[in-house]
Parts: sequence; structure tokens; C-alpha cells
Amino acid sequence: MLLRYIFFRTLMLIPVSISISVVIFMIVHLLPGDPIDNLIRVGSSPDDRAALVAKYGLDQPLLVQYFRWIGAMFHGDFGEAIVLRRPVADLIGQNLPYSLQLGALAFAFSSIVGIVLGTISATTRSAVVEQFVRGFILLGSTVPGFWLALLMILFFAVQLQWFPVSGAKGWESLVLPVLTIGFGGVALVARVTRVALMDVRREDFVTLLHAKGLPSRTILTRHLLPHAMLPVVTILALRIGWILGGAVTVEFVFGRPGLGSLLIRALGQRDYPVVQGCLLMLALAVMLGTLIGDVAQAAMDPRIREART
Amino acid sequence: MRYATKTMLLSGTALIAAGFLATAALAQEATIAFSSGELGATSYNPVTSSNLNSATGLIYDRLVEQDADQSYHPHLATSWEEADDGLSWTFKLKDGVTFHDGTPFNAQTVADWIPDFTGTENEYLVAAIASVEVVDDLTVKFVMSRPEPNLLYNLSSAFMGIPGQAAYDAMGDDYGVTGAVGTGPFKFDSFAIGLETVLVRNDDYAWASDLSENQGAAHLERVTFREVPDQSTAFLELKTGGIDVLLGVPTDFLEILKAESNIATIQMPGTGINYMPINVTSAPFDDIKVREAVGLAIDQDAIVASIYNGVGAAAHNFLISSLPESQVDPALEVSYDPERAKALLDEAGWVMGDGAVRMKDGVPLSVKLFTQNGTEFTALTQVVQAQIAAIGMQADITVFDSSTIRDEYKENRHQLAVRGYDWNNADILDWFFSGERLGYPNISMWNDPEGQRLNLVAMTESKNSAEREANFKAYHEYILSQHLFVPLYQPTTNIAYNKDRVTVPDPIRGTRFRSQTVLDMTVVE
Repeated sequence: MLLRYIFFRTLMLIPVSISISVVIFMIVHLLPGDPIDNLIRVGSSPDDRAALVAKYGLDQPLLVQYFRWIGAMFHGDFGEAIVLRRPVADLIGQNLPYSLQLGALAFAFSSIVGIVLGTISATTRSAVVEQFVRGFILLGSTVPGFWLALLMILFFAVQLQWFPVSGAKGWESLVLPVLTIGFGGVALVARVTRVALMDVRREDFVTLLHAKGLPSRTILTRHLLPHAMLPVVTILALRIGWILGGAVTVEFVFGRPGLGSLLIRALGQRDYPVVQGCLLMLALAVMLGTLIGDVAQAAMDPRIREART
Repeated sequence: MRYATKTMLLSGTALIAAGFLATAALAQEATIAFSSGELGATSYNPVTSSNLNSATGLIYDRLVEQDADQSYHPHLATSWEEADDGLSWTFKLKDGVTFHDGTPFNAQTVADWIPDFTGTENEYLVAAIASVEVVDDLTVKFVMSRPEPNLLYNLSSAFMGIPGQAAYDAMGDDYGVTGAVGTGPFKFDSFAIGLETVLVRNDDYAWASDLSENQGAAHLERVTFREVPDQSTAFLELKTGGIDVLLGVPTDFLEILKAESNIATIQMPGTGINYMPINVTSAPFDDIKVREAVGLAIDQDAIVASIYNGVGAAAHNFLISSLPESQVDPALEVSYDPERAKALLDEAGWVMGDGAVRMKDGVPLSVKLFTQNGTEFTALTQVVQAQIAAIGMQADITVFDSSTIRDEYKENRHQLAVRGYDWNNADILDWFFSGERLGYPNISMWNDPEGQRLNLVAMTESKNSAEREANFKAYHEYILSQHLFVPLYQPTTNIAYNKDRVTVPDPIRGTRFRSQTVLDMTVVE
């Protein structure tokens, strides 16, 4: 049953990907500006410019350009960056590991700490602890990343000198960026966990469990948390794509390479093939994240896979 | 208990810090952060790249070097001779030069290297070279298809650093990414795109140009170039010792840096101009009197004093003052004269109304003032707006990103714009004023038969450098007489370094931070 569900959901990705590729291509090409102005230099002639426009096929109708791009993509060819002068696949390959490293750690950090904090705040009897966690959640959801990043640098790198100010060498350089990105995630996950737990706790079956005399701890770990995890998994799945490309400001402040930084640089220079390649990667990551989330939900909750197949 | 933990942490930090300092003092190495303009280079292949950073200049040597005063100095070429008709150049090459991979540098290297440019985006640099003849092992002759008095300028550019041909051919597309071979004072060690480039000393180096004191191998054994895009982060790295040298410090950061006891700054003469192009096709600027009036309204000295704290220089024509072509007839230079500006506007029929804005036939003198986002031009644009308001012209500021603003120019939707360029050659005049590039780069939208004639003479009919200089000066003077733009400011290139860690020669020779400076850098013991 589950396998069939996964198969159909994967099949659905194909038409979705194609529609997304059209949208990405059109948005990128309809932006004002063009990459050639960022490529030519003083001393070259207007003829040189025209030759470059022709070389990259930018004088062709958009439809032709789209099919060239998507046709090459079917052969696994992401094309050649116009301004950055390298194969797009190489550029993505060089930047992706940094994004994955940072993203995966921030994801793990925000999931674990978020679920723990959310659980504490939903179950604690201490008003102080609850207020503290709620305050943390509010702060975490509202503080802008770049500001937090600079604050982290000033305190932990400049004052205490525990970690390097910036860079991407060694685990030390990962701590502050992971904390910065994770902070917002922790707040989000904690909030969702807390709400879900409080909802589940009001269910009749929980009252029954208490009446049967089960210890509170067992009820929490065996019965409440598995139920409460459903919305948490949905939220986490949606963050997978975000984590790959959403760290731009943090990458910028900490001087780290990454997919987000590559995308922003390419966008500024209107380096079409790079922008398209990066956006497509991010879209795929979001789709895969959603798929994983749905599958995980289906695996956790028989009602979902029964209802959808 | 709590106190004990704190003490342990503190002493641990101190120990680590002490350890850092100890290794730093022992090792002859320095970390340099690129300026924001040279971030994001994807390769150290000078032949094919469109964007090269400062580290490229350390891996490769060039035939010719250019000093800050724009004069040319021998490097891998010891001397050169230009034929009277300009149709050939002969270069004598330095003896005993070897590439990092051990292969010798000689006339054949040059003959093999020039054709590498064919079909690349950088081909225009060698477009005038018809063929390269090997005269003897250390003499090479460029046969020209047309005179190119600008050849030495091209040869001194970073794009004409000479790569080792064996490695260049063998590595294919990976050349410049996984490895690079030159004759420079530093060897390519590793390159992590967007992060850092590590170079190690070339111990055999003995062929420096006369721009550096040190004629042998560098004092530094290892140089790490880092990409730190955020200026605040870069400043904190410099302050805490994470980097030793910061290239391209914004002028408004200089005051903050001066407050730090361990940081010193060096100002190099810049290689560009900030200016305000005027769209001559858009009324009221189709009237030359109105254009001239706008120029007379700008107080360049006040701009230098109020925005830039006296750093940099006022600009009164289109070229940086170290270029000989900038020495134009003083009567043509653009300077502050508000009374004359007001008189010109009166003559043009724009008379002061009841408010502070002039009117003509019931239409107020209101114009569009565009600029690019980024902090560089924000304050400058506001001051320009205030200065032209003083002669009764109201300007509304719109801010665009750098790609979008070019589309606005191409669509001819602009009137005035505040922007800058960075180029130390008179052919920038052709770039921004040629009638073949209307919209962008010719933002002034100026296309005039006499201008085109002078352009053609300067660009193609100059047989030698003296003729070229005279021709570009004439073109420059004609452009000034037409009031197509207002010169605003000549920025400096600012470099900051940690003086407890390294020494950097001041003044810096050359037009930009390159091997000649790094060769003379030392680590403070």
C-alpha cells in the first residue's frame, strides 16, 4: 500500500517539474537586464557584443531558448554559465556541499531542540519555564537572521573569541551559522510541537489512559508525542527546500559559499543558466521534501494512506 | 563552581589565542580579503575568464607592468620597440624565467599563448595582432593587422598574465580551477570557490619588475585570499586577526578604522570617476544651456569635503588625473559657478517662479535622477539633488538594481543618473560616448557627426602612443564642450591592514594591489 502511494506521488512530480521549469524560465528571462552587459568589457566593440548575444542564443525567440534549455536538461546538461564562464553543474556541485552541511545541521538542531522545548513548555507545571520558552519562541520567530548573525559574531567571535568570525573551514566555523539559522527553526518547531501536544492532550483517549493509571511519562512518550508529530513532520518537510537556499543572508554575513549565495550573485548578473539551474534545484528540493513529509505522515498515520490510494 | 568554570573557559581561550599568535608569528604567512568588486571569481584562467581577482596577479607575470602614474615598466619583457608605422612590435624577453612546473619561459611560449585567445570573450585584447614570430629564443615580434598604440595597456592587464602552455593544454576545462601554472612569485595551492584561495611561495622567483624593492622570492611563504562579502564581517575579521589585509575598504569606513589602534590604512589613487550622465535627447536637456547649467550647479569640492571627509579628489573632466588625456584646456573643465548656472537657465527661458522651482511655459523644471542601489551612491545622489535644487531644478530620485537600470537607459527613460566607472585608460571615452552604443553604455544618448569622426580617429587612426594621446585629448575636449555629463568625484582605492601582523609598502606601486606589493610585504616579528 505504502509503496504504491510513494510510486504515484513520485509520478506526480514529473508534470509539476515541467510546469515549474516553464515558470522559472519565463520569470528569469522577463526580468529587465541581460547577462551580456555583465560580460563585455571596455575596449571590446559593439560587434563583439552582437557576436556574444548570438553565441548564447539570446537573439532567438524565448520559446526556442526554452526548448534548447529543457532539451539539454533531459540529457543531464545544465548548460554553461554566461558570466561566470563555468559549467552550471560544476558551480552547483561546488556550492551544494556547503549548503547541505549547514542546512542538515541547522535542520537537525532545530528539530531536536524545537521538539524538546515544545514538549517542555506544553507539559511543565512551572510558570517560569513556560514563560521563558514562550518568550524564546516569540524572539526566535521575529529576530531577523542577519542581525542575529552579527550579534553572534560580536559576542562569541569578537568578545569571547570562541569561534572564528567567518569562513567555512572546520567545525568551529559551522557553530555560529548553525545556531543563527537554527534559532528561527527551533522557535517554529517548538511552537508547532507545543500546540499539537496541547491539542492531543484534550482528546478522550488521553483521559482514558490517565484513568487507567498509566504514568504521565509513558503517556507522553508512547501516546502523546507520536500523535503530535504529524504537524511537526509537515512543517519540517517544508523546511528542507528552504534550508538549501534560504540561508543567503547568513551565508553572506559569515562569508560562506552556498547555493543561495550563488543564486543571488547569478541573479544580480542575470546569468540565466545559473539562475535557472539553482532555482530548479531548489524547487526539486522543496518537492522532494514535501514528498518525504507526506510519505512519513502516511507511514505514521494509516488513515492518510487509506484515504489517498 | 560557576566562577571556576568561567576561569577555566577564560584561561582556555587565552591559551588558544596565545597559541594562534605564536604560530602566526613563526609562520611567514598572511591572509588577505578581496574587495567586494572582485568576489565570485570562478577560475584562475586569465585567457577565458570574465572576472579575475587580485590573487591572479600573484600567480602570473605579465610582459609589461603599469605604475600608478600610468607609465609602463618592463617585466617579463625587458624592452620593446614599436615600428614607425605601428605595424609591428618587437619584445626582448627576460632570460632564465621558468614556470612553476619547471618549463622554461621563452619566445615560443608567447607565440603559443596569443592564439589561445581565439574564440574567447577576451579575444579583443589581441585582435590587432595578426601573427607572432619567434625571432630568436628571447625575442618575439608581433605582426599587427592595424596599429595598436594601446597594446602595452592590454599586455599589462590581468587577463594577459602568461600561463604555462603545457599545463594549459593538458588541463583543459579544469585549468584555473584545480590548478594553474604561471611564472609569478606565488604558486597555486588550492582554490575553494566562493571561499578562499591558497598560494605558496615560488622559491625560485628572481624576476620581479622594478615596481618592487624585493627582486628575489617573496618574504611571505604563504598567502591566503579570502572572500568575505559583508563589509562589517570583514572589518571584524581584520580587528580580531582573522585577516591581515583588507582590499577595497569603502571610504565611509575609514573613520571607523582609524579608531582601531592595530589597523593602518593606505590610500591608492583610484582608477575611476563618479559622474552624472545627462540624456541629451530628453527635454529640457536637449538644450545645451540647461546641460551646462546643471554642471555649473555641482560643487565638487563640497562633495569631497562633506561626503568623503576630504579623501579622494574633485573630478572636473571625464578621466582620472593620472592619464595624460585628462590634461585638457582648463576653460573646458567643469567647476562650480552657481551664478552663471542661474544666468544660463534664465537665458534658456527657465525663470524662477513663486516657489523654489523654475518654470517655462507653465511647466516646472522637474527632472528624473536615477541611481543604483548599494550604499556607494546614496549620499552622493542626495547631495547632487540638493545642489541642483539650489539653481531651481527639482530632481526626483529613483533607485534601481544594476541590471534593471541598464534597461531603463536602453529604453531611453532616463534624464540624469549618478554612477561611476573604474577604468584607467582614455578609451573609456569611446565606451560611454560612441554613437554605436546609445542607451547603454552611451547613457548620454549622444550621437553627433563630429563626435563620431573624432572617435574614429582616436580609436583606429592613431599610429603611435603620442598620436593616440593627442587624438583622445581632442575627442575628450569636444565631449566636454557638448556638456554631456557632470564630473563629480575621483574615489581612492583604500586598503587596510593589521600593523601588528604585517607591513605593507606605502605608497603602493602599480595601478592596483598585485605581486609588486605582496613581494615587499613582511610579517611583523
